[in-house]
Amino acid sequence: MIPIKTIAFGLVAITAACGQIGDDKSVDRGVNAHHLSTMVAGIWVDPNGCDHWIIDDGVEGYADARLTPDGRPVCSGVAPPNTVIGPFQQGSPIPDTL
Amino acid sequence: MAQPNLNKMRTAIGGLLGAALLAVSLAAPAAAQDSGQVYQPTIWIDPDGCEHWVMDDGAEGFMTPNLQRNGDPVCHRAEICGVMPTDQLFATDRYEIDANGRATLENFFRSANAFGFMIYGHTDARASDEYNMTLSQNRANAVAAVAQGIGARVVDIRGFGERRPRADNTTVEGLQQNRRVEVYCLR
Repeated sequence: MIPIKTIAFGLVAITAACGQIGDDKSVDRGVNAHHLSTMVAGIWVDPNGCDHWIIDDGVEGYADARLTPDGRPVCSGVAPPNTVIGPFQQGSPIPDTL
Repeated sequence: MAQPNLNKMRTAIGGLLGAALLAVSLAAPAAAQDSGQVYQPTIWIDPDGCEHWVMDDGAEGFMTPNLQRNGDPVCHRAEICGVMPTDQLFATDRYEIDANGRATLENFFRSANAFGFMIYGHTDARASDEYNMTLSQNRANAVAAVAQGIGARVVDIRGFGERRPRADNTTVEGLQQNRRVEVYCLR
């Protein structure tokens, strides 16, 4: 049986990790803390056939357009529309169960 | 009959627009001062070398590209895997590639180990902007045709003319460096 104190401490710890983020949003706090610049991306191909970087960073997910030097979408044909390739879930050890 | 009505409508619309503009101009400075919770982002650099603003707000994450005001992404283009000085590929004002140039390019595209290529032509600042846009596009097309000729995937081709110099256009060396075709490797 888990002592109540331990559970209480755990709850406090979780609250502390999730409750106060502050102004600096550059770090993923809590379990598996890391600076956001270290995230690893895959590519998601949108229904138009154009590439987006996609990152599954545990609780958070990120996606953003892949762009040419003059800001147009890169539509490389690296994968069919509506598919994802690459190591986009390697950034976090938190299992993605959904 | 129709004309005066139209004029009335214009006046009414103009008045509404004016009122809206006035409201915005009155409201905007106050809003800018009042609100504005600090959201300090960091930079994430994608595998192409381009920057994205990223924020982790606890359970949510946000990401948006770091763009210059002209719409160009801010990039550290480490993946420019080939800069072809065009003096070695093309005669002045021409865009045909001879057998030697073709062989060199084919060798490059074969050994680049890339999924695909983006090919961009550039010129120096001599001649008109319009002329240079056309010449650089033709040269980029010519290089792309060599890539496609050996079955390589070309994702994007564009001529930027003299608009994206690498070096100073007032020196001979600078002019030479600006005459180029850049190849970006997508891996």
